[in-house]
Amino acid sequence: MMKRSGLSEGSERFEYLQTLVTEFQDTDSEEAKEQVLANLANFAYDPKNMEYLRELQVTDLFLDMLTEENVNFVEFGMGGLCNLSMDPECRDIILQSSGISLITNCLSSQREETVLSAITTLMNLTTPSSHSQITDPAILQCMLRFSLSESPRLRNLAAVFLQDCCTKEQVAEAQQQMQGQQTAVGIPLPKD
Amino acid sequence: MAAPVNNSGCWSVPGVYKHHEQRTVCISRPKYREGRKAKAVKVYTINLESRYVMVQGVPAIGVMTELIQLCALYGTVEEYRPLDEYPAEEFTEVYLVKFQKLTSARAAKRRMDEKSFYGGVLHVCYVPEYETVEDTRLKLQDRRSYVIRAARNRAKEIEQQKATNEEPASSDTATTSDKIITRQTCDDDNTGEASNTSHYSRFPPLPLPPQEHFYRHKSQHRIIETEDKMGTLHNAITNREQERVQSSTSNLPSSNGEKGSELRLALNQASVGRFVPRNTHLENRKRKMEEVAEQLETKSGQNEPLIGPKLPDPSKLDMEDESLNTTLNQIRNTMKQVASATDVKPVGTKLKPRRRI
Repeated sequence: MMKRSGLSEGSERFEYLQTLVTEFQDTDSEEAKEQVLANLANFAYDPKNMEYLRELQVTDLFLDMLTEENVNFVEFGMGGLCNLSMDPECRDIILQSSGISLITNCLSSQREETVLSAITTLMNLTTPSSHSQITDPAILQCMLRFSLSESPRLRNLAAVFLQDCCTKEQVAEAQQQMQGQQTAVGIPLPKD
Repeated sequence: MAAPVNNSGCWSVPGVYKHHEQRTVCISRPKYREGRKAKAVKVYTINLESRYVMVQGVPAIGVMTELIQLCALYGTVEEYRPLDEYPAEEFTEVYLVKFQKLTSARAAKRRMDEKSFYGGVLHVCYVPEYETVEDTRLKLQDRRSYVIRAARNRAKEIEQQKATNEEPASSDTATTSDKIITRQTCDDDNTGEASNTSHYSRFPPLPLPPQEHFYRHKSQHRIIETEDKMGTLHNAITNREQERVQSSTSNLPSSNGEKGSELRLALNQASVGRFVPRNTHLENRKRKMEEVAEQLETKSGQNEPLIGPKLPDPSKLDMEDESLNTTLNQIRNTMKQVASATDVKPVGTKLKPRRRI
């Protein structure tokens, strides 16, 4: 009986999530889409929902948001991916859908929250096979610039990335490549 | 209890950030997505959370001790201090509180935010900008291992379910009513869970959700309590379920059942629920990506695309005066010419025979 109630609770949750996805696809209202997207991204925080969200292919939905013009769509989609990518199975799905390049583009976002989600997601996506793509010199240089940022959150997260996701040699190399190009003073940051 | 700290390490320079603001609540949600409490449209990620919280709106009547005592109800407070430099409303103070654990900060935020306190209304928010690099690293590691544990336990649960699938089950009505009771006790009071589990003691216990700090083998009661706190972050879940439970208790026999089956029917018929990226959409995405890639290439002028914000162009100094800027540009151009001239032209050709007078 306990098992049953556990199961039906799960299917209730699944149906609710399915309703959200359906509304997202059917509505023409930008506002409703934003709300549903934020809802889905928040559901992705709870590990209990991961398998339902995977089944509903919400991973693809989030990835699609990254190329939208509406900056809220991008922020919420990136937030959702940040939450989902903690789960190994979701991580593999994102990697299979060539998410790395889409997420890397978000590093250039004007919104700090989007950039932070992107950095965390990239760290979550690091596996032996994806490692070389994630530690691309261009990304490392970007992280080096972030690590000099005025925003403590951005600075810290970039520092964790540089310390945990790549070797010292890689960082040194990226540093060398950067030198001479530009001076590291007064980096313009994401606006808000 | 922790001692107050002044100006040590990361405890300096308070900045006013956007995520401290209380966002305007969203009032345009349709019924089915409406929660118990009005909420803003916002996405929570681990980046936004922190064991550091800021408490605003504390009446300036010398109640710091009381405030910290209140905080300590939700977990060990490691450090705290008033943020005198932070802009506060008149007659109120702002405090920074560092909890030992993120779960405590979560619980404190959930229980204390927007609650009245000595005649004032508190606003509690996470302040991850006070974290050290090590804090941030540990926060992410904890979160990752928590989610991985959850995934593993879920897999075990499914296996168990397969094994016990043939077990006889009682009638539907009994299951639903039991569940309603469970939900209500769970939402109103955590202690309800203890009696609830004993109620089901004849049956194999439901595999518990994995916890960030406690493994499932520890006391069940504790685990459930933490699980409840986790709900802070997805109010939509609990709210929504509460609502559903309420509606089902009020009109259980008629409309709720109908609604449910209608929903199921609609979803089964069309099976539109699953998100299927449309072809056009995919093409759009591809096109956009190509455009972005092109832009990046042309911008950097190299094969390697530049990612992220760029450093400022040193020559773009604005003197805030048109004539000054013009002069500046002229000087810049001259400098460029001079620089390139010296590079290209060998000095020898410039030599002219000197005339002596």
